[in-house]
Amino acid sequence: MSLLEAITQQCHKTPNKIALQDAKSQLSYAELEQHLRHLSTLFKPGQRIAVAMDRGVDAASAILAIVYAGACYLPLDLKNPATRLRYILEDAQPTAVIGFGDKPDWQPNSITWLPFQLPAQQHALYPADPESIAAILYTSGSTGHPKGVALSHRAMLNFADWAGDTFTLSSTDKVASLAPFHFDLSVFDLFSSLSRGATVSFVPQALTLSPSRLSQWLAKQAISTWYTVPSLLSFLVLKGDLANTPLPQLRQILFAGEVFPTATLKTLTDLLPQTAFYNLYGPTETNVCCYWPVDRTRLSDNRPIPIGIAAANADLKIAPDNSELWVKSANNFSGYWQQGKLNAPKLKAGHYPTGDKVSLNACGEYDYHGRLDRMLKCSGFRVEPAEIEAAILRHPHVAQCAVIGIADPTAGQRPAAALVLSQNTALTEIIQPLRKRLPAYMLPSQIKIVDRLPSLNSGKIDYSTLTELFK
Amino acid sequence: MIKQKIRDFIFRELVFVDNPAQFSDDDDLLEAGLDSMGIMRLIMFIEDQFGVTLPDNEIEPDNVKSFNALESWILRHKKP
Repeated sequence: MSLLEAITQQCHKTPNKIALQDAKSQLSYAELEQHLRHLSTLFKPGQRIAVAMDRGVDAASAILAIVYAGACYLPLDLKNPATRLRYILEDAQPTAVIGFGDKPDWQPNSITWLPFQLPAQQHALYPADPESIAAILYTSGSTGHPKGVALSHRAMLNFADWAGDTFTLSSTDKVASLAPFHFDLSVFDLFSSLSRGATVSFVPQALTLSPSRLSQWLAKQAISTWYTVPSLLSFLVLKGDLANTPLPQLRQILFAGEVFPTATLKTLTDLLPQTAFYNLYGPTETNVCCYWPVDRTRLSDNRPIPIGIAAANADLKIAPDNSELWVKSANNFSGYWQQGKLNAPKLKAGHYPTGDKVSLNACGEYDYHGRLDRMLKCSGFRVEPAEIEAAILRHPHVAQCAVIGIADPTAGQRPAAALVLSQNTALTEIIQPLRKRLPAYMLPSQIKIVDRLPSLNSGKIDYSTLTELFK
Repeated sequence: MIKQKIRDFIFRELVFVDNPAQFSDDDDLLEAGLDSMGIMRLIMFIEDQFGVTLPDNEIEPDNVKSFNALESWILRHKKP
């Protein structure tokens, strides 16, 4: 079965049920299928199509139509500065970019601009090879540039099916979708929900600035399932007025992307007594490889929650030398998309090494102990310090630079940078160009000028001394 | 006083602008990059610094969009 076959079948089973809705429009399952038949004529099998559209019904139908046509979608984060968008397009070399209106300035002329429209012609579902690439999700890269995680039909379908079964999604469910499409949480929102006949309701973006309105929206929409990040749930706990906004329909909340502070999670589970909670874990390369159905009786303030047990039949191993988690799973990615081609991933004994340190606890679950490398998690986004350093080092007066993460009670971590200057320069002159190269969550929240970077005897940068500098 | 403290906090921790001195009290903080996580940290900072409790249902873009909006919002809740 291909990724879109399950959704097309659902269109025949529940034609009148709402498939997608946002503040402006909605599509029933029957209408969705019609949209896919028409929209898919814009694409050809094997093409890569970048999607430059804000979250919503149209963007979702464009993405589904790309996959329906046997092509591969590459969602762009329109909040990214133009330089980063251009880099991603030059690296991914898509056939076309689809969006509303006129071609944006950041788009290279060599790539076709496709205005979003419903053509008169129709196509039937293309029988895609399960190993062909259905999506490329760009994420921060340790080499200093973003890199594309390439996901096959097989990997996405395996995850969509596992999640559909595990979270018992059905046509009685209404799923709130807030994750941007370049975030792997959206694979659940779109493909798990629609293959099970649920309704996907896009959360209006402005509500993230107004948590009590977000709670009211969840209640009014009768949302049953929501997959989101702990930092937003923390905001809801703090100021969401949940004590006065009962959410009896919300049967489950899934969260992933960062560590949820146990005390805040405990408060949330008390505020929502009828809701089940699940901690989902996994880098984009594995989608979800571990999960923990939250056991309320085991939430004690000073103990981090486990990441749980293997998900989707993943084969998990702990590396004997450094306790790194290795994952072999049908969810796993096919490789990194770089410079217009697929590069095979570096595996260890057939497993993807996550870079995360874990251990097994007395209940047979995995506990998470942080990164083995320097990767940061900022408001759920994955951030490679090397990418920030490369951007800072472009300034001719910066001789050396090191970026570390400083703990932040709300965002998990925030990047901070220590710089050695070769010539006296105002900080704004260094920061200003960064805003053109990096998305907001990657901008250093603190910058310190130092005479030299602290180093270890080996000559490597001493990151722990550096961390002290920012305390 | 209130405005200066908020200014220092926002420009130090939440929003980078090219030239903070040129950012007026009416300029749009949301356009400048103040996002949901930034608002959450700002509210924690304000409640802690000024001893106010900002009601849940008043946390919305209109009250946090500029330094002037923030100041009048805080003053409405500050006991004389």
